[in-house]
Amino acid sequence: MSRKDDLKILIITTMISSYPGANTVGQARLQYSPGTFIVRVPDPVMFPEEFYLDSFAKGIDGIIIMSSGSDCPYEGAYPRLSKRVGRVYARMKELGIDTSRLKLTTICTVCKAAFLKEIRDMQQNILKAKAA
Amino acid sequence: MTEASPTSAPVPSGDPIRVGVYVCHCGGNISDIIDTKAVAAELAAHPNVAVSNDYMFMCSDPGQALIIDDIKANHINRVVVAACSPTLHELTFRKALQRAGLNPYLFEHVNIREQASWVHKGDHEGATRKAVRLVAAGVEKVVRQDELFPIKVGVEPHVVVVGGGVAGMSAAAALAGRGLGVTLVEKASALGGRVADLDRVYPTEESGADLVQNLTRQVQCHPKVAVRLGSEVVGLDGHVGKFTVTVRATAAAAQDPDHVVRAGAVVIATGFDHYRPAQGEHGFGQSPAVVTLPDFQSALRQCPASQSGLAYQGKPVRSIAFIHCVGSRQIDGVHPPQPDGKVNDYCSRTCCAATLHTIRQVQARFPDVNVYDLHKDIRTYGRGHEAIYEEASRAGALFLRFPDEEPPTFAASKDAKCAGVVTTRDILTWGEELEIPVDLVVLATGMVPRDIASLIDLRKLPVGTDRFLQEVHPKLRPVEMGVAGILLAGACQGPMDINEACTAAQTAAVKAAILLANPTIELDPFVAVVDPQRCDGCEKCLAECEYKGALTMADAVEAGATVRRAVVNPAMCVGCGACAAVCPPRAINVAGWTLDQFDAMVDAIVAEDVGALAHTECRPSARHIEFAMAGGGN
Ligand SMILES: Cc1cc2nc3c(=O)[nH]c(=O)nc-3n(C[C@H](O)[C@H](O)[C@H](O)COP(=O)(O)OP(=O)(O)OC[C@H]3O[C@@H](n4cnc5c(N)ncnc54)[C@H](O)[C@@H]3O)c2cc1C
Repeated sequence: MSRKDDLKILIITTMISSYPGANTVGQARLQYSPGTFIVRVPDPVMFPEEFYLDSFAKGIDGIIIMSSGSDCPYEGAYPRLSKRVGRVYARMKELGIDTSRLKLTTICTVCKAAFLKEIRDMQQNILKAKAA
Repeated sequence: MTEASPTSAPVPSGDPIRVGVYVCHCGGNISDIIDTKAVAAELAAHPNVAVSNDYMFMCSDPGQALIIDDIKANHINRVVVAACSPTLHELTFRKALQRAGLNPYLFEHVNIREQASWVHKGDHEGATRKAVRLVAAGVEKVVRQDELFPIKVGVEPHVVVVGGGVAGMSAAAALAGRGLGVTLVEKASALGGRVADLDRVYPTEESGADLVQNLTRQVQCHPKVAVRLGSEVVGLDGHVGKFTVTVRATAAAAQDPDHVVRAGAVVIATGFDHYRPAQGEHGFGQSPAVVTLPDFQSALRQCPASQSGLAYQGKPVRSIAFIHCVGSRQIDGVHPPQPDGKVNDYCSRTCCAATLHTIRQVQARFPDVNVYDLHKDIRTYGRGHEAIYEEASRAGALFLRFPDEEPPTFAASKDAKCAGVVTTRDILTWGEELEIPVDLVVLATGMVPRDIASLIDLRKLPVGTDRFLQEVHPKLRPVEMGVAGILLAGACQGPMDINEACTAAQTAAVKAAILLANPTIELDPFVAVVDPQRCDGCEKCLAECEYKGALTMADAVEAGATVRRAVVNPAMCVGCGACAAVCPPRAINVAGWTLDQFDAMVDAIVAEDVGALAHTECRPSARHIEFAMAGGGN
């Protein structure tokens, strides 16, 4: 049976909001599981659908896309991203991958509680799915 | 138009990739939790890692010297530092690489402090395991990293400021004071914007007209400022350093030529509009006794000093109710939506102080008038604003606080004793319902963005959910827009008072002056870049790009045949990567953030053994990017 700390959760953060947000969580010394791997990108709109599916196939348990949401400084990027994630969900269903393993959310530079909650929720979802 | 052309020599190929890994203790900030020695030892097993060390403070001079010595003596040609957040020291280490003669972008900064040791204090082993995986991911990224070169762009030492309110004029005066040429484009027939309509302004009690006159003099008398009144910007081409701005006189006859200005930067200062209440909102439009704050201020200003009693449109006013938050802090389901279907949920910030300041003017001139102030909150946040609130209260204004979801209503009165009755629930008296007979209701209308859709469309300028123009980041980059070289000043960005609008304007001016201080600008190289050998000309990327002129197709000759290839104008690309996601052969990528790099990082994160990761050979790379645009090439 998996423990939450054994999971590998990929957290995709944006340079302008959620990456500094993750730093804010650290500066506040708030604690979360080490099974979390934060990568920073200019914007997650750059990832094709395959990136997510391939990552699951490689052994990533869950992916949280922490976007800048409507604060995204790139024109049209967020609507594109959210449509793409919708298509990834459809493909996950086709492939029999539990869709709760992928989450698109918005995290700002000071969203400490939301940052922690997203991780907790993702871990719970994965563990529940694994146990089922 | 200036064309961007890659000109540099390819990355030197052939040399084996030798990565130096440096794990920082950060005093004990990292090493008290993470076993830094173990991390360095595990990374040493990576087939591309030639040196792997840990050290007390990598950012210190001796720490940096370790890297420089290894580059020189051990032929290290890629560097990974695992330390604090890259926001703190990425630049420090890039500069160290540069001092050692290595391209500064052959560097990866891995955050094992804010995002590892500080957040996994109770699990040293887990934190160490995580750090190993993160550093391995950093190594996998840097071995796929090409040399990058800043994009060099020649600059025009001139700025176009759009909007001649206090923000636009402040920006223009500050820019000219720094030696830059300025074209100030104002749509109206006079400078001044909304402040020209104000009598006395809070908190300084200066006259709005004097403020405007003072600024107008500064810009109109400055030899470096050209003011174009009654004009609008109808074209905005080019890129940071070299914009081509087309200005058209609004009343111009068809044959009048447009005025074309070349500018290195553009400051937008188009200000705000007053919220216009909906028909029936607190009785607005149904009774002449319900007016907006700007209309009332204007009436008050025109009211002769000798007049003994307050009158509005010829009718005596003995009691007034001011209602706050009209058109601001609206609640879905309580307030009618705006034309775009959304309510104005933001705070207009200036209306509380403006209302209280107006109340003070009424009290000072007409002490017999009864004043009721109906609010859901009073937000007198600025310096000196709270004093105005206190003075209004001491002089007898009666403050009533209505619940968010139950705004006051107004009903016209049939008898001649008063114009109507305002009904409100007052939280301050435990929810009592009060009926207040009044002669006048003044609605403290908020700020809404001006309709500048045509300007926005010229460059797809980012707009926030509140419909005001949006900065890159409210704290970290507060006056920059997503489009490099376009800056924001004043209330076009969101509700601001004069002080804030002018501060923002000065900031924008300084930002523009820094950008244009040298004959060329160096821009970050993290923009889209096309590998022509992989591009098959499918054009899918074009449909994804929102930035006019950033991505185009061009003919190229390959093996004697003409083929279509995607071409990026690096000065216009913002590096969002929307194009990369749809390119089947991965021919287009954001430099420094390629999909191959991310794939390899994921491989490293899931790998159980760093030593089992594959060795990466140095590839002859076509994805080098130095764009020499100095001097232009118009
Ligand atoms: C009722 C009320 C009372 C206020 N009282 C005070 C006060 O006492 N003290 C205080 O500090 N603040 C006060 N304020 C706030 C103050 O009005 C603003 O801070 C100030 O006007 C902002 O200046 P601005 O230059 O950003 O915008 P604006 O004043 O709106 O000026 C914008 C200018 O841009 C021009 N423009 C617009 N679109 C274009 C275009 N497409 N092309 C060219 N030009 C264009 C406009 O014609 C205008 O001249 C008050 C606000 C309100 C609503």
